[in-house]
Amino acid sequence: MKTSKPSSWTFCVAASITIAVALSVQLAGQTAAVQPSGGSGGSGTQWSLQVERIDPGNLNLAHSFQVAIYENLLEELNKTRQFKQVFRERDSNAGGIPDLLILKTMVVKYTPGSETQRAVTTVSGATKLMVRSQLITRDGKIVFDRTVQGNVRFFGSNLRATHNLARNIAKVIKQSNVATVRASYRDTQTPTLNAAGTQ
Amino acid sequence: MNRLFALRNHNSGYFGGYALLTLWALWLCSGSGALAQSAASPSNANAPFSTRVTHLLGLPNTKPNCNGTLSIQDSVLQFQPNGKPGVQVNMASVLNLSLGDETKQVGGLPMKLGKAAAPYGGGRVVSLIAHKKYDTLTLEYVDSNGGVHGAIFQLEKGQGELVRNELVARGVSSSSGEDQPTKQSTSEVTHEDK
Repeated sequence: MKTSKPSSWTFCVAASITIAVALSVQLAGQTAAVQPSGGSGGSGTQWSLQVERIDPGNLNLAHSFQVAIYENLLEELNKTRQFKQVFRERDSNAGGIPDLLILKTMVVKYTPGSETQRAVTTVSGATKLMVRSQLITRDGKIVFDRTVQGNVRFFGSNLRATHNLARNIAKVIKQSNVATVRASYRDTQTPTLNAAGTQ
Repeated sequence: MNRLFALRNHNSGYFGGYALLTLWALWLCSGSGALAQSAASPSNANAPFSTRVTHLLGLPNTKPNCNGTLSIQDSVLQFQPNGKPGVQVNMASVLNLSLGDETKQVGGLPMKLGKAAAPYGGGRVVSLIAHKKYDTLTLEYVDSNGGVHGAIFQLEKGQGELVRNELVARGVSSSSGEDQPTKQSTSEVTHEDK
């Protein structure tokens, strides 16, 4: 009688371990099955994107800010996984891609700030950037047009504003589900998303 | 004259004055030598050049805000992070180069926490003096596929000009104007839609 207790206890532990392992394997399979469809943004086709350099317009925007926005945009847009490939400006590999959108970014408003002033006063010295982002097809049709802003108000260097701006642009593009809209646009030949909105 | 010497000997100041004069002459010679070196360094285009920088962003496979050595040798610009393999950029692929300056708070997170914990707003007073000026060097270059890359480095104040001179001496085109510093301004700069 005494010897049967440990054996039943061992059996219970082994059974629970087996169930736990089976469940974890099943969950992993589900996750693996979900992952590939998650990146396509609900569309059958993933579109590629080419990011152009920042157009400062007539503004006196520092060259380092332009480069920082461009590089941060590339990084943040890659993170969204909305696009099959994200190309840089002038990349020769983008030439043969049939479904390619071009991202143009024009600086609309820029308020220079100061990290020291932010640290001393808390309420002033913010660096603010506002840009107009457009996604354009190869034939020149605008499928996405938004005004997005990014700023740094409290902590961080002035270049932090460019990171926040790029993150906001990527977020807006992801939320607009532009890949699906682009697919319907290609079918009907009438763009459905072409409103200049302000975030 | 004899009276003067006699007076100096009397005060035991003659040898001190002579020593001071010798030291001044030595200092003058070494100073002019250093000046000649610094003036001549940019013209020597083949001599290797290196300086300590912080990579802010842009270089592939390199973490942002990492310290390392930026070196220029022959026709290659190399950034080597501490203890890691370096990234090389060919001079011929550099499209543009610009210089700027930036003021940053020093001390990082510990200083921020200390300033926040200081009573009676003492942290704000510390912020007034705890900042440092840096030069920023911005490069635009193309990779093997023709794609445009950008990289930003932060250098000690005054070093940016030296690096730019070195790069220009090696044939890199610098932007026509200086990279405009982000000066504090109360007025907003606005550009209406084109």
